[in-house]
Amino acid sequence: MPVTKVLTAGIGEANLRDVNVYRERGGYKQWERAVRSMSPAEVMDLADKSGLRGRGGAGFPTGRKWQFLPKDKELRYLVCNCDEAEPGTFKDHMLLEEAPHLILEGMLLGAFGIGCHHAFIYIRGEFKRGYQIFCAALEEACKAGYVGKNIFGTGYDLEVTVHRGAGAYICGEETGLLNSLEGKRGEPRLKPPFPAIEGLYGAPTVVNNVETLAYLVPILEKGPEWFSAVGTERSKGYKIVSISGHVQNPGNYEVPLGTTVRELIELAGGLRPGRKLMAVQPGGGSAACIFEEHLDLPYDYESMAKAGSMLGSGAFVVFDDTTDFVKAAHNLVRFFAHESCGQCTPCREGSHWMERVLERLVHNKGVPGDLDMLDRVSGTITGLNLCALGDSIEPFLKSVLRRFRDKFEERVLREETMNV
Amino acid sequence: MTEREQNFPALLDRLKPECERIIAQYEQKRSALLPLMHVFQQHEGFVSPQAMRAAAEMLDLTHAEVEGTISFYTLLFRKPVGKYVLQVCRGLACSINGAEEIMAYFREKLGIVHSQTTPDGTFSYEEVECLAACDKPTCMQVNLEFVVSLTPQKIDEMLAAMRAGTYETAPMLQTETPAATWTFQQDAQVATGRKSAGAVGVPNPNNAGGVGDASGIIMLDRIVNGDVTFFERTRERAVRDSRAVTEVVENNGSSNAGH
Amino acid sequence: MADLVNLTIDGIPVSVPKGTLLVEAAKTVKQEIPVYCYHTKLGPAGLCRVCLVEIEGMPKLQIACNTVVGEGMVVKTQTDKADAGRAMVIELLLVNHPLDCPICDKGGECDLQDFAMAYARSSSDVADPKVPKPKAVDLGPTIVLDEERCIVCQRCVRFDDIIAGEKQLVVKDRGARDIIATATGEPYHHNFTGNVTELCPVGALTSKTYRFKSRPWDLNRTQTSCTQCAVGCQQFADVRYGTLLRTMSVETDDDISDTWLCDRGRYNIGFYSSPERVTQPLYKKGGTFVQVDWTDAIELWAKAIRDALHDGGPSGVGAIGGGRLTNEEAYLLQHAFRGAGVANLDWRAGHQRQATPGAKSGRLADIENAQAIVVAGQSPEELAPVMWLRVLKALRKGAKLIHEREASAALRQAQGDTMQSVALIWDGIDLAAGKTFADAFAGVAALSTFIASEQGNARGAEAMGMLPGSGPGFASISNAGRDGWGMFEDARNGKLAVLSIFGANPVRNSSVSDAMNAALGSVPFLVVSDLFMTETASHATLVLPAKGALEKSGTTTNLAGDLLPVNQALQPPDGVRSDLEMLFDLCDALGVDLPAPDALDAAVISAAAKVPDFALGDALFKTVACEERQPEHRPILSGGGTWQHDPTMAPLSAGNGVLV
Repeated sequence: MPVTKVLTAGIGEANLRDVNVYRERGGYKQWERAVRSMSPAEVMDLADKSGLRGRGGAGFPTGRKWQFLPKDKELRYLVCNCDEAEPGTFKDHMLLEEAPHLILEGMLLGAFGIGCHHAFIYIRGEFKRGYQIFCAALEEACKAGYVGKNIFGTGYDLEVTVHRGAGAYICGEETGLLNSLEGKRGEPRLKPPFPAIEGLYGAPTVVNNVETLAYLVPILEKGPEWFSAVGTERSKGYKIVSISGHVQNPGNYEVPLGTTVRELIELAGGLRPGRKLMAVQPGGGSAACIFEEHLDLPYDYESMAKAGSMLGSGAFVVFDDTTDFVKAAHNLVRFFAHESCGQCTPCREGSHWMERVLERLVHNKGVPGDLDMLDRVSGTITGLNLCALGDSIEPFLKSVLRRFRDKFEERVLREETMNV
Repeated sequence: MTEREQNFPALLDRLKPECERIIAQYEQKRSALLPLMHVFQQHEGFVSPQAMRAAAEMLDLTHAEVEGTISFYTLLFRKPVGKYVLQVCRGLACSINGAEEIMAYFREKLGIVHSQTTPDGTFSYEEVECLAACDKPTCMQVNLEFVVSLTPQKIDEMLAAMRAGTYETAPMLQTETPAATWTFQQDAQVATGRKSAGAVGVPNPNNAGGVGDASGIIMLDRIVNGDVTFFERTRERAVRDSRAVTEVVENNGSSNAGH
Repeated sequence: MADLVNLTIDGIPVSVPKGTLLVEAAKTVKQEIPVYCYHTKLGPAGLCRVCLVEIEGMPKLQIACNTVVGEGMVVKTQTDKADAGRAMVIELLLVNHPLDCPICDKGGECDLQDFAMAYARSSSDVADPKVPKPKAVDLGPTIVLDEERCIVCQRCVRFDDIIAGEKQLVVKDRGARDIIATATGEPYHHNFTGNVTELCPVGALTSKTYRFKSRPWDLNRTQTSCTQCAVGCQQFADVRYGTLLRTMSVETDDDISDTWLCDRGRYNIGFYSSPERVTQPLYKKGGTFVQVDWTDAIELWAKAIRDALHDGGPSGVGAIGGGRLTNEEAYLLQHAFRGAGVANLDWRAGHQRQATPGAKSGRLADIENAQAIVVAGQSPEELAPVMWLRVLKALRKGAKLIHEREASAALRQAQGDTMQSVALIWDGIDLAAGKTFADAFAGVAALSTFIASEQGNARGAEAMGMLPGSGPGFASISNAGRDGWGMFEDARNGKLAVLSIFGANPVRNSSVSDAMNAALGSVPFLVVSDLFMTETASHATLVLPAKGALEKSGTTTNLAGDLLPVNQALQPPDGVRSDLEMLFDLCDALGVDLPAPDALDAAVISAAAKVPDFALGDALFKTVACEERQPEHRPILSGGGTWQHDPTMAPLSAGNGVLV
């Protein structure tokens, strides 16, 4: 089985929340090495060479993202995105509670790599325990001199601020996150300008996912070649996949990218006895479903895109034949309607409208035309929205609506019954 | 004035140092809004109007800005809640693994539905979006502490412990009797037909005093004879807009003739 | 020019300045791209998503409001794909928007109606009822919000933040529950609230004064200048059945109002139809007023003046007014009295001593570009509200606001030397202070000075010669008379036999009202021309009922020296006359030669074009040098006599006959 423990190494075996334990296992060595003997450009170079791509959902190459920062502006910020709320994703939650120092070290490396002196971590409001654990870890790191003024006597200063959200999925969108961090409504900003040009407090800003930053630690330790040696042609390295749904052993599994979908399901113990696989949602609530015919596809960014879906945040939800896909579709559309910030018309009105229609369908009160309306509206609003949330409504809904149309049609009242 | 309102000034004094420490962490004050609200909620059990006003003052914001921002976030309760806020995950992964039955069980046992508080003020119940613990369905949070792999038996034990006051997670502070619902202001508005947040007791537009004033005299009065207190207001606003710089040059010279 | 960008819009090559937004560029080829959240003065927000266009090389539709033009860009605004996108957005907006257009104030001038007609499908797939929300939320003294109609474009919220700087309106809640609101229990109340009703693209925000009053197409619209303060904002007066129902801003008026109106200009309009207006000349006989007809009134007035001149000479007669009259009236006022030999003339009846800033007079737009705004005396925030919006604009750009009640030499050293461009705003009250300010900033390269006057046409009155020491165009007057305060002093000492006051209420405007009451009470023959029985008018021997600004035509001069048209929008009540009409009759009765209509216009234009060479704080009694200025491009009233009421031009209630 292709499980490779990199970030997850030691989790469940040792108390990595303790800075001493973390240090004994080689913790903060890379940070010390980077600050003492490397230049920010070298760190950035390593990140670039490793082929590391954003693990939060968009899969954008991390090195490239950093290079967008304008060279002529010194003031810049790094923000670590720990607002994990994509339905089905629970990897950052685990890392935050089990390996806070690893996240912190990754953040420090990232901050050093882009040459900033103030880094933030935005932690989802619900992760109260994780927030407390991270704050304690940060305090230990400050005491140990890893964070603060004149780190390792090199004259490099770096402050880290922990910021806790208060319940809004949209704050996981990077500009929504920045607004929330600035104390505003977490509404995504109009782009351009992009955060790399005008981000937090108007200064150039990089927003990276927890897992992305954490991978910087092993990349520095073992070299970019070690990382890029695994994976597929354009999807390098490892990925923590949060497998849930109808599998026997749901959980986080760290695997090389390119592991097949079938292997992942087997890794999680396979389906329950006697059950039949109906669909897999391979990349969180925003991803379309893939089906039996895709089981042998490698789990990487390109193959998932080719199958009409996406790898996203690595939330891998398995559906067997007990699933009511009308309910599932309603569940996710309701999620997006609930979490829509309400700024832009298509997302605000479209999600709400579709939620109401699906709610009727769930209660067997569909009317003729409902299914065509869902198909038409979800499709048309995609691409019209201010941010990606509105575009996330279509994929799952449409994939199950088209695949299991008969199940949806059963919920539509026939004309003769309507007239009664 | 409720007891909580009476105690608020003392609480504010007590929390001031912590608030200031939080504000100092950010380049711009406003960033501290959510952290401050978490602090106040921890000490009052909800985000009280007084807390919002205090934050507005500390952060140089208008009351409207604070309220508008707070209302975006579901974890900041704008009304008092039960001692135990039960937030059950209705996310997709839980929902295909029995969350619906769990939620139905909760509703039956508590006798309330989504976003309501039990009449005795012990429980507030809410069905929330994915809590990122999908590997252990059905999951929930009790006052933001996770409880996972729920079963009816586990729920019975949990509720019993809560009622008995022996539950492991501390209850929310309850400084005021909880409202029946707390999440969205507008729910209540629509239900009761109440007509807003706006201005109660504002004089009729055709009254003297400005708008539509029959002779324009009162407006003129404000202009010519009114004591000019505008500048403080102007300065406050200019300071809020951090790019603007204002300056008052005080002088001991003789006052204006005729003023 | 190097800063131009070339692109193609709908096949037409266009060159626009670099940085122009596509939505603005499209206007150059007369292509209207639908917008809800975008507004020229508020900038892009990207919320409504209706301004969709196709751009070659981009797979997705783009929003025109946040796309900056690029060299060689090929844009198509009218394609099936763009139309389909717009149709989708409008269909979505209509999912929960009530179709109560028949009783909606905005119906007929609603962007949602217009664009739905232009782009939307004629049928709907919506099978569910619309979400009910509060229909009449009382936001404050002026505005009511219909939450169902709101499409959350946030124009009002952005106006309150970006333009008015008040931040009283915000969006509350989230997603489909988004509502516009103020802080709990706090009214939406500041000087500019009414603008949000105009910005609102639908009928969500409505004015209390106009709600359910009229269909927009039944209104008779006249463009005029607001005379309630010295800014002179251009505005539309909308009249139905002879009643002024609302005033609206003029969207092309970038120079003066910047397209905003203050609540005073917008809502202080009820007085025109007040039942308390004086509509007959009143003559005080034995302590009580009796109604007299106009012929008798004019004769009584003229006789009193003739007798006084005969008995006590010119020092016993005086006239005060002009700051609230039109230029034509102010001109004729001094013409009539000077023609009769009277030298005691002044427009100043309050505290203000000076209204013309002189050679360094600025244009309103200069304020926006100043590095520092120096406010001397009372703030212009109340005196000239819409000018204050420009100050806020400058502050947002990083300008410094310096406020001082008094002049100081320290200020000169601290600020004067370092600033390249300064806007100096003074209230014109303390001459010595004004002088010090002028001196302090005399060295600034780009100095624009403004005097925010108490009275709307104070600057015009000065230019028209309503000053004891200078005639029209600031021409020197050899036998200078007494100024306003001097006349009141004379009155108290029993030296003034006849005093005529036009559109001024010195009792109320004075901080020494007891003394003022005594002074006015001692004038044997006091004439007051006003709309109402004011405190001053109650002392009068003769009260002359006057027309309000919207009931007559003429010109006014604003604080920046612009000569602006005042056009009649309303039919006055029977029995009232404009000051111009009264003064013509007075001239006749006194035997003073009347200027010909065209000659009066020409004299006014010529006088208004004179820019006196003096600074703030210079007393105006002495001779001043003048230079001629090119007349502003702003159109002055066209046509013949500006004072004569031309029945064929009257846009009055006759037009509505069809309905009754």
